[in-house]
Amino acid sequence: MALQQQLRLVFVGLSLATQWACAQTVELKKPKAKVDVVVSPNPAAACWQHKLYGRTAEAVSCFTKLQGASDPLARAESAWGLERYQDAVYQFQEAVKAKPTDITPRIRLGTLFRQRYQPKDAGELLGEALELDEKNTDALLEMARVAGENYDRKAVEMVKQALEINPKLATAHELLAKLSAEESNFALATEHAEKALALLPQSLDAMAVLGAIDLLQERPNTTWFEKALKINPAYGEAYNIGGELLILNRRYNEGIALFRKAVEIRPGLWEARARLGINLMRLGKEEEAYKELSATYEAGYKSFPVVNTLRLMDSYKNFQTFRNSRAVVRLHKKEASVLEPYFTSEMERIMASYDKKYGTSVSGPIQIEVYPDHEDFAVRTMGMPGLGALGVSFGPIVAMDSPSGRKPGSFHWASTLWHEMSHVYALSITNYRVPRWFTEGLAVYEETAASPDWGDRLDPPTIIAIRDKKLLPVAELDRGFIRPSYPAQVTVSYFQAGRICQYIAQNWGYPKLIEILRDYGQSKKTPEIFQARLGISPEEFDKRFLPWVENQNSKIVTGFKDWQERLKTVVTAYRAKNWDIVQAEAPALRDIYPEYVEAANPYEMLYEMHLAKKDQAGAMAELKRYSKAAGRDPKLLKDLARLEEESGDKRAAAATLKRLLYIAPAQDEELHRRLGNLLLDEQDNLGAVREFRAAVASKPVDLAAAQFALAKAYRAAHQTDNAKDALFAALEAAPGYRPAQKMLLELTSSEKE
Amino acid sequence: MTPLLVALSLATSHVVTVAGLGGEPDYEQRFAAHAAEIEKLLKTDADAKVITLSGAGATKTALVNALQQVGRDAKLDDSFALILIGHGTFDNTDYKLNLPGPDITAAELAPLLDRIAASKQLVVNTTSASGASLMLLQRPNRTVITATKSGMEKNAPVFARYWVEAMRDPAADSDKNETVTALEAYRYADQKTVSYYETQKRLATEHALLEDAGSGDGARAPSPENGKGQLAARFPLVRLGAAQKASLSPEKQVLLKKKEELEISIDKLKYQKAAMPAEEYRRTMQALLLELARVQGAIDK
Repeated sequence: MALQQQLRLVFVGLSLATQWACAQTVELKKPKAKVDVVVSPNPAAACWQHKLYGRTAEAVSCFTKLQGASDPLARAESAWGLERYQDAVYQFQEAVKAKPTDITPRIRLGTLFRQRYQPKDAGELLGEALELDEKNTDALLEMARVAGENYDRKAVEMVKQALEINPKLATAHELLAKLSAEESNFALATEHAEKALALLPQSLDAMAVLGAIDLLQERPNTTWFEKALKINPAYGEAYNIGGELLILNRRYNEGIALFRKAVEIRPGLWEARARLGINLMRLGKEEEAYKELSATYEAGYKSFPVVNTLRLMDSYKNFQTFRNSRAVVRLHKKEASVLEPYFTSEMERIMASYDKKYGTSVSGPIQIEVYPDHEDFAVRTMGMPGLGALGVSFGPIVAMDSPSGRKPGSFHWASTLWHEMSHVYALSITNYRVPRWFTEGLAVYEETAASPDWGDRLDPPTIIAIRDKKLLPVAELDRGFIRPSYPAQVTVSYFQAGRICQYIAQNWGYPKLIEILRDYGQSKKTPEIFQARLGISPEEFDKRFLPWVENQNSKIVTGFKDWQERLKTVVTAYRAKNWDIVQAEAPALRDIYPEYVEAANPYEMLYEMHLAKKDQAGAMAELKRYSKAAGRDPKLLKDLARLEEESGDKRAAAATLKRLLYIAPAQDEELHRRLGNLLLDEQDNLGAVREFRAAVASKPVDLAAAQFALAKAYRAAHQTDNAKDALFAALEAAPGYRPAQKMLLELTSSEKE
Repeated sequence: MTPLLVALSLATSHVVTVAGLGGEPDYEQRFAAHAAEIEKLLKTDADAKVITLSGAGATKTALVNALQQVGRDAKLDDSFALILIGHGTFDNTDYKLNLPGPDITAAELAPLLDRIAASKQLVVNTTSASGASLMLLQRPNRTVITATKSGMEKNAPVFARYWVEAMRDPAADSDKNETVTALEAYRYADQKTVSYYETQKRLATEHALLEDAGSGDGARAPSPENGKGQLAARFPLVRLGAAQKASLSPEKQVLLKKKEELEISIDKLKYQKAAMPAEEYRRTMQALLLELARVQGAIDK
């Protein structure tokens, strides 16, 4: 996935997709004053045991017997066991009312809510249960499951808390095994799975985790799934758990194969069927995906991911697809004609570059999906760890935000595309075996390798992380992506991974990165690879790398607090138009932290200062610095282009506007028009045609002028027929348009001659 | 569309612009600046009689007096435009334009406008909640434009900014006849307003409307299909460059007349486009456009 500085706080919107993500945040409240808490035993415990171990007839009979029980808790369990979920919820609520200090109905209803995709309600009930008894291990574990579904670090903490209370809780070890496997910490996962089995030899979920670990560690002949199925032949959940762990480790095809097995064993396992459908969709197998998801929905399993994915797939009719032998680009119809030339040509450029750098090409076409509505893109990343901010790749399929899906200047689409395409190559070369930290690091590195002003800038949370020595050892860096322990850790981990690749490239050469990548493809592990390729252990690497990073950024890291304070003073002066203070103070702030190009940056303040003092040259020089430092505000870049043009440097002006094409090419007719004119002046006639075509496609207010400009460019490019078409369109919109009339007369007279 | 430059060359355009209360200095300055710019742009036309009320002088009494003055001066052939800038409010009963001292309601404005004889009238209400004034101000032969679709859109609109921009940006003259009509200005300002909210990734809090049929709701996108925009297309708001000069040059009248006839033919052909074979349409249109270009060339000589 690609991230950018301005977008670190995603998932704050209001869509269903984002509600899903937000709803699972877990907050523990302080326990209430002591009351006489009751912990009723589960009246249907025996029925659930029958169900867990595949004794279906006994389970149904057992649950049926409880239907007429006087205890609402028993009736609730009965309804749940017989899959009458609404009735179960009602009965649980009755049970809560009947015994307000009984913790069990709350935990059980919370569990039902979690399983029936209502994590927010689940979290609230479990929170209430823990308020009554903070040491209830059932409540802690269930709350951990809610947190775990959102990759919240608190999940691990809560399981550990439960184990402190009762170290012999097999279910806690099962859960910890699964959480550790999600982080690719297979040693720890194995340890906990084995502990679970030692405590409960029939622990089916522990077996499923061990089976998944075997597959992830290239032991395809694992017998763990068979062992689980021997105990319960209908336990499709084993493959469901395994499939999810493979997907989280980006082994998409193998994960899908396990979901298929899960569904085969138990066709009514809708959670597995939903995951099958969603992952088929991720891999572009849309017909089958739609079929599976529709069946899931029709069966009443209407989770947010299912509903939103179906909704997204229904919207595909609004997209237009462009194909060539190596790439399929899917763009929304409303912007396809503007964006297609840029995306297609950038894809060609990327593939030419990566084919050479990585020494191979990706087989089969690579599909790029570009979503103008961020919520549609969010559906694509739903249920995945980390922040699916801007782009995501699922093997040869890349989904990303459109440049129009973000505030102009806040998103560098080309940088994101290079990032995601690096993943496509890395996943292909390693057959999906590359660890997350390395593929992300390489992708971040490739962004700035493509152009120094691309990629993410050093941001304040990362400065603080470096200062507070929060960077992770390289061997543990995956954890920072999957289950962050502080809010900014994902973005900090992107930075760190990128810098690690930069450090390796600088000290051992870029080809070493590709060698490492290929080693991962052979399922080698980081310590072995580092020793063989770099000649040092990961620990030794950390000892060299971490001081290097600190040293590289020492100026801002040591002076960050002071910089913040001084910036406040300069901003106050800037707002008061006290230009002398801005002139005196801002340059030093700019030079201490040159990568800071966000709101209230020194470059912009100095630019305004120069303008106020009528110093055009100074203003232009400042904006050049801003652009070089990766400033991306379209207004400022357009100002720079104007100043460059006014100073007679049209080539520089065109270069500045070309840079803006990689940032905000959509919804900006002015950009294309201005650039088209500059290119026409430079006699880059085909470039001018491209820009004026984009201007026309941008649905300008002045369509006639845009069509006429296009006609001029076509004429300059000696494409007379196209020029006539564009001229006709211009005059059709504005019959009295004098310059167009003049060209019409000229073309007519030259035809006669 | 038909510019009607010949007919209008003898008529006077009366324009009253009001910049109401801003509430905050920032808004106050912005409103006054918009009004001043409108005045500057309109005063380049010798046939325009422009009254601008802003700041402390923009009182209800001053506005009533101004409208009564136009009522006395304007003739049937004249055009009249009222442009309201500022804050408007709607309390589920009355729309009010906020002015220093007592406010004025839409119900009070309507009879004052009705007493103006000018056969072509335009009201551009760019205030918040302006949509609530539309029904009260509409009348046959009057175009009413509001920045909001109802009285419930209460945030300060950006429409006024783009309306002023339309009056000075040649790009607003989409048919390049050197006259920006009310319809062209509306489309320009509306498109820019929509784009503003889209690019800023903000929820749009204003949706402009145009009503010129004298009844019914306003239209977001005026077109022959919804029966809106025909009158607005014939209301010249600003004349640019040569058209203005041409309108003042009697010796060009014959050529201008021919040009106008050709433009009418082109307009008619456009309406027939859907019902014609594409090739025939293109051939006929090309011939008309070429002839128009030649006539224009003669005018320019």
